[in-house]
Amino acid sequence: MTTPVNPLSSHQYWESLRARGFSLPQCQACKAFHFYLRPACPACGSLDIQAVVTSGRGNVYSFSIVYRAPSPEFEKDVPYVVAIVATDEGPHLMTRLIKVKPEEVVVGMRVMVSGWRIRDEPVERVSEGAAPPLFEPESL
Amino acid sequence: MTRVNGSRRSPLNAVIVGIGESTVGRVPHLDALGLQRMAAANALADAGLTFAEVDGLLTTPIRVENWAMPCGVVSEGLGIQARYLATLDVAGASGVAMAHHAAMAVASGQCETVLCVAGQNMLSFQSRGDSVKKLADAGWAHPDFEMPHGPLVPTLYALAAQRHMHEYGTTHEQLAQVAVTMRENASLNPLAFKKELISIADVMQSRMITSPLRMLDCALMSDGAVAFIVTTPERARDLKQIPVKLLGHGYGHSHTYIGDYKNVTTTGAVRSGQEAYAMAGLTPSDIDVAQLYDCFTITVLIELEDLGFCAKGEGGHYVASQGIGLNSPLPVTTHGGLLSAGHPGLAGGMFHLTEGVRQLRGQAQARQVPDAQVVLVHGNGGIIGLHNTLILGKG
Repeated sequence: MTTPVNPLSSHQYWESLRARGFSLPQCQACKAFHFYLRPACPACGSLDIQAVVTSGRGNVYSFSIVYRAPSPEFEKDVPYVVAIVATDEGPHLMTRLIKVKPEEVVVGMRVMVSGWRIRDEPVERVSEGAAPPLFEPESL
Repeated sequence: MTRVNGSRRSPLNAVIVGIGESTVGRVPHLDALGLQRMAAANALADAGLTFAEVDGLLTTPIRVENWAMPCGVVSEGLGIQARYLATLDVAGASGVAMAHHAAMAVASGQCETVLCVAGQNMLSFQSRGDSVKKLADAGWAHPDFEMPHGPLVPTLYALAAQRHMHEYGTTHEQLAQVAVTMRENASLNPLAFKKELISIADVMQSRMITSPLRMLDCALMSDGAVAFIVTTPERARDLKQIPVKLLGHGYGHSHTYIGDYKNVTTTGAVRSGQEAYAMAGLTPSDIDVAQLYDCFTITVLIELEDLGFCAKGEGGHYVASQGIGLNSPLPVTTHGGLLSAGHPGLAGGMFHLTEGVRQLRGQAQARQVPDAQVVLVHGNGGIIGLHNTLILGKG
């Protein structure tokens, strides 16, 4: 097996989500996780980055309840909760919280990956049918 | 009483000698070039210069009309024969950045007189819904990992506001005080778009957009253009106005996408402020007027903290207790800002600079801060991540 010398591609990341479950990019040189995808590890500069399956759990770092849709395709969803989740592995990421009443969301609440809209075939980018994972209140 | 440190010569050896704005508000009969021509002509007349004497040009992209190469479009449209020209884009930080780049061009002898001009009809060129959608789609949220969740641009700032409230107990009433003060200032500014006074209750009862931010926590949108002229101190001697010096400048960039930034209540403004104070040989206590960038009410609170005017987390308390109005110890954004005076896109932050120049010249009329000697002008680009700070002093 050869060591990958190219940074994690968007295709590889989405394919990991689809085939193996919630994943975060992890530098194989310094083992630091990061998010979103970068052309090199933001901690050490290594190009040796792989998608690694992680817990998919974390805390709500901040959130906002959106009442005014940015464009017509979101109008059916308002009000909805856009949040930043601090994952247990470290990286923060933006998501939408579902299966919770917006007024019950608080900073610090435990959440976990809920699932995501992704077609069951390899995808290259969001615009081709994938969307990043959604989160919901944690259950054990 | 403040003083300007005379022992140190700013490396930005250039001065601002002319300022001007177009009509601001709803100006549907002029396109971007027409608005920019009006602002530029006003700035040149203010300085006692003509278009033929301009040999440098800086502008920004515009968002509503399709200009492939803005500095070329503006240069041709205004009939400028430039020895130096460029299109700058650090979003809301562009106004301060233009002054910095123009000063470097002049100080290095690349050219003598730079026209900095930008603006568009952000309001009347398109519907409000189109503007909101265009902003939301512009890439401020990461296109693959943030955009699909449906944040507005205000949502991205609301995430910082919510976290600030959580960490420091900041209240919406404190945020609202910022909007109320900006409207008070705008009511004294003949150029301002929105002049009707508002109360804290008005802000707290305005339409919820993206919690905790309501309509009146958000910048307005307007048509308009702004211009200013930068030249050498030698050239300024023959011109009409008291020149304004660039005493210090600094950048600070903490993040571009807010989702993965781990400390959203502390920003690149810490570094931009430190660099600007160091170059000027001044401290926050030397600042007489702070022209802070106010795209949202929360932005002002965080800048007050990061620029050293109060301790981290105390921005809300500071605004509510001693105030930031014209009669407060540190008047902030005296023209009324993006929240009330004008916001035609990237040119919005240029109003902060032209007002700072007016304060130093003693030309701010009803908004004049007595004996203003040192003015700080702050720019913020993107999602409270890219900051620049400019310190201006009397020439």
